[in-house]
Amino acid sequence: MSAVGREVSSSAPTAAWRRKLVPYGLLLPGGLWLIIFFVVPMLRLVSVSLQTGIYPRYRFAWAWSNYAELVTNYGGQAVNSLVYAFLATAIAFLIAYPLAYFIAFRGGRWKNFLLVMLLMPFLMPFLLRTLSWKIILADHGLLVDLLKSVHLLGEDGRLLATGVAVVAGIVYNFLAFMTLPIYVSLEKIDRSLVEAANDLYASPAVAFRKVTFPLSRPGVVAGTLLTFIPAVGDYVNAVLLGTPQQFMIGNVIQSRFLVVLDYPVAAALSFTLMIVTVLLIIPYVRAAGTEDLVA
Amino acid sequence: MAAVTDVAGGLPDGGEPPAVQLESVTKRFGDFTAVDEISLDIEENRFFALLGPSGCGKTTTLRMIGGFEETTAGIIRLHGEDVTGRKPYRRMVNTVFQSYALFPHLTIFENVAFGLRRRDVDDAEIKTRVAEMLELVQLGGREKQKPHTLSGGQQQRVALARALINHPRVLLLDEPLGALDLKLRKEMQIELKRIQNEVGITFIHVTHDQEEAMTMADTIAVMHKGRIERMGTATEIYEDPQTGFVAGFLGASNLMQADIVDASTGEVVLAQGRRLRVSPGRLPAGEKQVRLGVRPEKIHLVPVDAEIEGNALEGLVIDASFIGVSTHYLVETGAIAQLAVMAQNLDDRRFAQGDRIKAVWRPEHTFVVT
Ligand SMILES: Nc1ncnc2c1ncn2[C@@H]1O[C@H](COP(=O)(O)OP(=O)(O)O)[C@@H](O)[C@H]1O
Ligand SMILES: [Mg+2]
Repeated sequence: MSAVGREVSSSAPTAAWRRKLVPYGLLLPGGLWLIIFFVVPMLRLVSVSLQTGIYPRYRFAWAWSNYAELVTNYGGQAVNSLVYAFLATAIAFLIAYPLAYFIAFRGGRWKNFLLVMLLMPFLMPFLLRTLSWKIILADHGLLVDLLKSVHLLGEDGRLLATGVAVVAGIVYNFLAFMTLPIYVSLEKIDRSLVEAANDLYASPAVAFRKVTFPLSRPGVVAGTLLTFIPAVGDYVNAVLLGTPQQFMIGNVIQSRFLVVLDYPVAAALSFTLMIVTVLLIIPYVRAAGTEDLVA
Repeated sequence: MAAVTDVAGGLPDGGEPPAVQLESVTKRFGDFTAVDEISLDIEENRFFALLGPSGCGKTTTLRMIGGFEETTAGIIRLHGEDVTGRKPYRRMVNTVFQSYALFPHLTIFENVAFGLRRRDVDDAEIKTRVAEMLELVQLGGREKQKPHTLSGGQQQRVALARALINHPRVLLLDEPLGALDLKLRKEMQIELKRIQNEVGITFIHVTHDQEEAMTMADTIAVMHKGRIERMGTATEIYEDPQTGFVAGFLGASNLMQADIVDASTGEVVLAQGRRLRVSPGRLPAGEKQVRLGVRPEKIHLVPVDAEIEGNALEGLVIDASFIGVSTHYLVETGAIAQLAVMAQNLDDRRFAQGDRIKAVWRPEHTFVVT
């Protein structure tokens, strides 16, 4: 009796301890991953961004001037980035929402097939996909000729090597990232909710505005973020479909890092891009009020 | 949105038109006929139950009245007005959906106010009407909560309030109590009946639960395979089910085959020459054979040597189970293999397995089914 009691009392603290430690143990792999692959590189990025010197000899010097270069030298590219990313996100949304709606509500037994069709272009390598836009938008290509013939485009107008081409490329490349989350949130909506709205005197348009769209908001938020964030930092579309006139901040970062080997400025630009993106996203997510929707 | 109109449709002869009128309404899904030429009139202020087993076409019928399903053929009238092709949002009916279908992103207040907002009722009136309605369903003070924070029974009442606040002329309820547990279901049955009395709106209540239908409804229509087999009050249907399906679906019955001996006196004969009597009016004219039924609680057991008026079959008790309020017997008679008998536990004697007895009942308790 007493032996059992002693054993219980002596093992109790260790068992309690173990129970307390388990959650931290479970957090460990993810935490380590985050520290090694995010926190440390981020600190390193910030520290590089404050260095000065000439390749390959850079030293830390609180060189805030690296950050000023964005405004003094690369303002145009920064504006391009924001404008193109914003336009591409808006256009992708306008294409993706009806598409997702159609597949979710009208797809019937073709749903899976239609989703596969949506993803099919992604089986082709990214570069090839973007290069084929060069053919579509080419100066004497079908599209340009057609637009000229209906006078949507002037006699010497062109599509390739313009902002239009870059935005088109971004829209195309990120369309699936916009469509899939919207599709998922629409697909989840209980059809009887729409019927209930109709039952309560909402016409189809009003039912969409008051019920379907609000309930698909989490998908819209996810889709727009999944498009906007990579689009702001994109550089491939500007290289392949634009000219230096259309270059975005991603192109600058790419050339600073890999061509000029000006690591401090490249790091400062990267870090700024990140901060600006986060600052833009926070109010957007707040305004979209997705937390309301989580049941 | 003000397109929801009330039309004072009167019948040519000036009588009040029924609240809901179906005329040979049919619905086919491909080759499958879910609703087969249903015709019925539902009078104003009724509590009408559409009762039938799962898959018999109840929901489809209700959805056609609500406008969610197009009719394949037939005419639907609401208060005399033909609404057959009309969209749901232009019909003066509201629905309580089986899954409640509360809007998860809106508060209880906005859920209930939804229909009024669509019709541009002003804010002050919306406020008072929502408060009144939530009071009626005993949910005052929950305005700001979201539906998912309420229990099943409470959500059910929000769904009811959301429909009733529009003062529909007909309220459609599709198995509204189906998701509730037994105790809550019993409470809500009484509650629904009270609310219907209070608001005086025609309720069409779909259910597969015969007890629920009998508890609540003034009129019950029993559906089977897309058709209405029997319609009437609970008592009428129970006492004279008229078809074998209805007899079996509402309560238990003993069915037996008989030859008609004399239709004018109601005399029939079972297998092995056992003679019985039926109320003469119930025997179909011109038939030779009929199927008879009698409810287990209408039958008494008496000792085999007792002299008794009425229908009597001699038999052997093959099973007796005491269940408190009553004792259930299975009796083997020559004419019917297993006659079910339910005897109230009054002061008369109980029988045991192996006893020879006589099963007796009054001729007027015998019904005829087709
Ligand atoms: N949209 C539909 N397409 C095909 N068959 C359907 C559809 N809706 C209902 N049915 C069929 O019609 C029959 C009646 O269905 P329903 O009216 O829902 O029955 P209940 O409500 O009485 O259980 C069922 O056999 C069902 O499978
Ligand atoms: Mg049903």
